[in-house]
Formats: sequence, C-alpha cells, structure tokens
Amino acid sequence: MWPSWVHKTQREPHTRAIPVWFSDLYRSRSPTQTMAYVSMGEAHRRITDYLNRFSDAISAQNAAVLRRLLAVTSDSHLLLSLADSLNVVQDTSRLVKQNEKWSQYGEMLVPLLRALQCYRIGQLVDSYSAFEKFANAFIQEFRNWETAWALEALYVIAYEIRVLAERADRELALSKKTTEKLKGAGSFLMTFFGKRPKACWSFVYHLELFKIYFKLGTVHLCRSVIRSIETARIFDFEEFPSRDKVTYMYYTGRLEVFNENFPAADQKLSYALSHCNPDHEANLRMILKYLIPVKLSLGILPQGSMLDIYNLVEYRDIVRALRRGDLRLLRCALQENEDRFLRSGVYLVLEKLELQVYRRLIKKIHVIQKHKDPSKAHQIKLEVIVKAMNWLEIEMDIDEVECIVAMLIYKNLVKGYFAHKSKVLVLSKQDPFPKLNGKPVSS
Amino acid sequence: MNRRNKDDHRSDDPSSSSSASNSSRSYLNRDKPSHKNPNRIIPDSTMATQGWRGRRPDAAESDVPLNRANSQRFRLQGQHDDDDEERGGCGSDPRFIVGTCPFMCPEKERLQRERLRDLAVFERLDGDPARTSSDLAVKKFCRTISMKDIEASDVRPLPVLDRTLNYLLDLFDSSDHPFVTVHDFIFDRTRSIRQDLSMQNIIGDQAISLYEKMVKFHVISHHKLRKCATKGPPTSPMHHLNMEQLIKSLASLYNLYDINRKLDCDCENEAEFRSLYIFLHLGSQGHNHIMGESLSFWLSRLPPSVIRSKEMLFARTILRLYHVGNFWRFFYCISKEATYLQFCMIETCINEVRAEALACINHGGYKLHPYPLKLLCEILKMKESDLEYFCGLCGLETSVDEMGNRVLSLKQTSFSHPKGGLNTYDYSGLEQLMREMKI
Repeated sequence: MWPSWVHKTQREPHTRAIPVWFSDLYRSRSPTQTMAYVSMGEAHRRITDYLNRFSDAISAQNAAVLRRLLAVTSDSHLLLSLADSLNVVQDTSRLVKQNEKWSQYGEMLVPLLRALQCYRIGQLVDSYSAFEKFANAFIQEFRNWETAWALEALYVIAYEIRVLAERADRELALSKKTTEKLKGAGSFLMTFFGKRPKACWSFVYHLELFKIYFKLGTVHLCRSVIRSIETARIFDFEEFPSRDKVTYMYYTGRLEVFNENFPAADQKLSYALSHCNPDHEANLRMILKYLIPVKLSLGILPQGSMLDIYNLVEYRDIVRALRRGDLRLLRCALQENEDRFLRSGVYLVLEKLELQVYRRLIKKIHVIQKHKDPSKAHQIKLEVIVKAMNWLEIEMDIDEVECIVAMLIYKNLVKGYFAHKSKVLVLSKQDPFPKLNGKPVSS
Repeated sequence: MNRRNKDDHRSDDPSSSSSASNSSRSYLNRDKPSHKNPNRIIPDSTMATQGWRGRRPDAAESDVPLNRANSQRFRLQGQHDDDDEERGGCGSDPRFIVGTCPFMCPEKERLQRERLRDLAVFERLDGDPARTSSDLAVKKFCRTISMKDIEASDVRPLPVLDRTLNYLLDLFDSSDHPFVTVHDFIFDRTRSIRQDLSMQNIIGDQAISLYEKMVKFHVISHHKLRKCATKGPPTSPMHHLNMEQLIKSLASLYNLYDINRKLDCDCENEAEFRSLYIFLHLGSQGHNHIMGESLSFWLSRLPPSVIRSKEMLFARTILRLYHVGNFWRFFYCISKEATYLQFCMIETCINEVRAEALACINHGGYKLHPYPLKLLCEILKMKESDLEYFCGLCGLETSVDEMGNRVLSLKQTSFSHPKGGLNTYDYSGLEQLMREMKI
C-alpha cells in the first residue's frame, strides 16, 4: 500500500518540481538581477567568450558544457550576463559571421542569441519563436553528427521548448491574444520525433509531449503517443532511467483516472509513488494528489499525517467525513474545493464516496446501539437514520432512507434486510459491513 | 450538377402508422430572432494551419466570390468528419463562400428535383409529386463532391437560413403526417442548413440561435421517436442517426459558445445546452467517451460561470444520484427541477433506473412485508397499470394484499432486467414539466 518512508517526519518542502537531470543546471539559479551596465568592450568580450565556448563544446563533443549554454530559462549567471551584453551590442549576427569558427554554426547561434536576448528583456513570445528556430537548426546538425553525444543537450532543448512556450502563452493571454505557442511546441516536438527516433532520447520527447498535452487540455492526443511507445520495438521500458519511468507512469496513471479505470490507475500511480525518489517531495505530492482519490474510492484511507506532510489539505475534510460517516462534511468539502477538484478531474470520483459515508454512518449507529443494548443492536429503526440526517442538517424523509438502505444492501455494502411495515433495517448477525476488498465501490 | 442523394427513397411516404400524440404548441420557435448583426471575425491575414489535408484551389480557378475575411482560427468545429466528407477531398479551403441564394431551395436544384419527381410530401404543390414552388421547396442535404463545384447561388445566406429554419420548425407540430415522416424531412433539411452555415463559417449570436433550435429539434425528436417505436415499424436506425446528429450539433454549438466567449458575448441559454451533454453519459448505453474525451475532462475545461449555473448543478446532481444509486432522489429532483429538454435527454435511462430500483427493493426487502405498489408509483413516477406491466417485464409478480391494495412481493428470484428498452411509459407529472417550458 503506502511505502513506509511516506510516513516519515516532516521535511522542508521544495518550492517546485524540477526534473532530476536538470538539478545541477537549474539549482545554480541567480536571483533575477536588474540589467547591469556593461561597457561595449566588456560586452564584446563576453559574447566572444560564449561563442568560443559553444564552438569548442561542439568540436570536443562535450555535452555537459553545451547543455549549460542552451538552458535559456535557467537564469544562470553566465547566460544573464551574456544577455545583458547582447542588449548592448545589438548586431550580434554580424559579429557571428566575422569569424569562421563561429559562422559555421551561424544557423544555430543567431537565433539562440536572439532567444536569450529577448528572454532577458521579457519578450517571451519572440524568445520562444527564436528558440524554436534554433532547435530546428540544432536538430538538423544533430542528425549529421556521427554519434548521439549531444543527447543531454537535446533533453534541455525539449524542456526549454515547453517552458518557453508556456511563458509565451502567458504573455499572449495577458494581451488577450490567442495562446498558440504551446500548441505549436506540441506540433514541433511531434513532427520532430515522428521521424525515425534515435534510441532512447525520443522517450524523453514523449514525456515532454505528455506534459504539453495535459497543459493544453488535448489529453486525447496522448493516446497516439502511448500507442507509439507501446508498439515501438526499440523501447524496452525496464531499461529507462527510473525518473523517466516514474514520469511515464504518472501521466498514464492520470489518464486512467480521467477514464475512471481505477484498478489500472491505482497500479500505475502506485508504481510511480514507490519508484519516485523520496527526496522529491513536490513530485510525490503531485502523484499523491491523484492517487489518494483512487485509493479512497477503493476504500483505502490515508493516515492524516500523510496529508499534512504533503500539504494535501483539500483531502483532509473528505477523509474525516469518511471516517465519521458525516455526509454534510463530505458535501461541504467537495463544494469548498470544487474548482480544484474539477480542474484535476477527480471531482466525479470523489462524489461517489457518498456511498461509503452512508455505510459508515449506519455502522456507527450500530456500534452505539451495541453499547446500549447488545441484544437488539442489529435492528436499526429507519427513524434513527432520519434523525441522524436531520442532525446533520440534511433533509431526508423515511421513504428516501428506506430506498438508500435497499440500495446499500443490493450493492453489498451492508448485509441484512429491511422490513417495510415496521420501518426497520435488520442487520445480518455475521459481518454486517463486509469489507470493500479493493474493488471500486459504485459498481 | 449531380445532386443525387443515396437517401432518395426518403421522400416517399413510409408505410402508414398512427400519428404520435404531438404537443400542440410550437415550443421550438420560442426564441425571438436576434436583431443583432452576426459577428464576423475581423480580417486576420494569417491562415493558421489546422493540419487539413488537400490543397487549396487557386484563386484563378474558382469563380466563387470568396470571403477572405474569416480567419480559420475561429472555425466551426465538431463537424470535422462531416465536413471532410461533405467538402470532399479539398478539405483545406480556408476561404469561405458567401452565399447569395434568396430562396429556401436554390433554383437549379428545385427545377431538377421537379423534373426527377424527387419531392418530399411537404414540398409538393397540391399533392402533385412533380410540382413544387419556391415557398415549399427546401434545399436537401447532399455530400458535396468538391468545393469547386459549389457556386454562391447554391448557398443560402444567414437571413434565408433563419427563415428556412423557422419554416421547418413550424412543420414540427403538424399532425397531417406521421411523426416519422415529419422528423425525417426536418432531419435532412436541417442538416443542409448546418452545412450551409459551416460552408460560410458563420459564427455569432444568430448562428447560436439557429444551432440551439436545431439541437432542440433533435432532443425532442429523440423523445418522440421512442414513443413511435412501440406503435409503428422499428425506428432504431433513425433513432441512432438522430442521436449522432444531436451530438454533432451540440459539438458545433459548444464551439460557437467558446468562440463567442472570446468576443465577450454572453449566451443566456448556454447553461441549459451544456447540461444536455452531461445527460449523454447516463445509462449503460451512455457514451463514456464522446468525441474521444472523458466527462471529467470536459468538465475541467468549462468556465466557472457555466459550471455553477442552476442547470449544470442540476445535471451534475442527477449524474451523481444515478451513479450512487439513490433512485428516490433521482426522480424527486427530476420532477422538481428538470426542464423539458433536459427530461427528454434523461429519459433514455429512466427505465433502467426503475428496473434497478425494483431490483434493490426486491432484493433487500423482508419477504413478509410486501411493498405497496402505490408507494412505488409515487417514487418511480409511473401509473399503477404501467408499473404492474413493468414488473412483469422484470420477471416480478404483483399480488393483492388483504386490504385490496396491489403489492409487490419481495425476495422473488425471477428478477431480470427487461430487454428491449425502447418502451416508454408515461412519466407522472410530465405535463407539469411541459407547461413550464417557456414559450
């Protein structure tokens, strides 16, 4: 069920979910500086320095160096100061063409520099467009190289494409224009990897595509991505690094939640949870956000402490309602977090927990009656249930209660029978509240 | 021009069947026509690619006055499959036609169909199968071979389409012909209206109003066709086709709502029409994925003002009650809050819920306390005679108790879900619902 380390004591929360393999790149984030004054000479120096690094990295086939130079959104000191310089020098394409060492990569360098420059001054739309041009040129070159040494640089490019597109869309939305950049990023990645994928880096593109499709809301397009992964013979799932497997299971698990295939969703999300690095709390939280409703509908409740550790407050009241048999609390909790639940697509799942709440309420009444008079405990007057509902400020007359009881018996949530004339629910003496056994409740 | 439609036989009368009882008011025309001008998109010169196959005909080739003003970005969607078929291979023409035909049916087509005696009953002048007039003929739906063949004079502009639709819907209540005939005619002709709208990429208030009326037509037909099924020849293919077009029209309508929202227009009926979508997911025949998308996902993308509207809350409540199995409140809520349109959509699963209710009560009840039918009737909103018959269909026996009341004996082992779900029984209180339909 829940891995043991999940219940460990509270740790400091990370502020955002950062993909593992960028940890070195993106942790060295400098605080955003205001544009520093740079002299013309110094600006030239920095730019030529960068151009040299870029060309040398390619000649030396050094992916580790190269990828640092491409991470536009990493806000590294190097790139920020470079961008300041670019804004001073302005005509960088002329500069690039001056030296043959750099001009051979002109198709890549010119748009890349432009992307950095625009990013620095907050023009995200232009930055994205330029970066896409760069990516295109880079990929052409990549195909010509004999080995796939620049794989890690491609990871970074895929990531940057998505993030820049997201930010560009935000800029577009602010000026009330159509947000089309993320969609374009999706198509770009799709057409790119559509052609004969090289070994396992295309799997990374699949993952970036998932993220894009989820963000865009075109989740049905994920099906084609999944199909291509499952049918491609070059992919052996087990060989992939753990982090990619977790990401994949996370997204496919979420799809199962949308499609209400709970046993499948449970399996996939649980896999993601148990294979996720315990230090990455933000990722854990994302997985749990979807796994908890799935588990709840299978009748498995998380411990309260887990909700606290991962800051999943929205589920607190729901779990409480399930434990107490408190229908009013369940409904309130659903209403309070309605927007959040609707957006993540779990609202309809949580609504059906009502059945379990009814069951728990009747169970509680049974327990109370056992204390009072064990011999008659198994007979529950329907009036008592009506009173309990009224006490919870829920209007329910005795006919409705009878129908609900009939339904609970039919669905095997309660064992017994109801006697219409005497308006009594008679519980079976043996095991009146059968366990749910991990099967989804509403079937 | 080749306008032959493989559904030619539809213009003849089907074998006689008694006319279904029609409600006498023309509720379909309750909206007054909008006086605002249709909102067209201001020219945007970028033609966003939508991944359509096919090539654009050169400007020199076609003589159709093309409207370059409409950006493809705001496009009637949801009929993509239809559009591709209807437009033939040249799917990617982003320049839309501006229709000029002033009649309900283009002159050329009218003359041709007169010659070929291809006239529906409603189009015949004095009952003559070879004569019609411009007041009676309505353009037929036809899958176009290629956009190149379409001329502006074959396409009806918006005011004409509006007039045509109103004319068609006035026929809806006509009791001169059996309902299936009426439905068939309007079904086909409204499809042609939608085709014309889509060809011209008309969006805006008036388009919304037209689509809403057409959706209403499909929804109410959905209800009426069920009634016809028990009396005349089996109509389930027609039922299925109607449902198909209902879904397509809904999709186009929703697309229009989304477009108009971007233009900051408020659509007052949007909540009710969105709620109809939810009801499509009810029942074991309910489509779980409509147009490839799960309901959860569809809901997650709706604007909050729509989600929290009265009609949507009602629809979500009904969905929850259905899934949880609270049949008592299910019927209670319907009687209290459903509009007629919503009822027509929910109706599909009502008998299923009734059967489940019987199953629950039969299963869980005490054998020596049989359940009074009178109470069941109130809960399930049925007449006692209908309920008895229904119990029989479910394999359950009813009897009479010592007070002379009819009761359902419990713990019968012969229960089974009734097959052939096309029967409808009167829903107690339906008149109330219909009376409350705004005129």
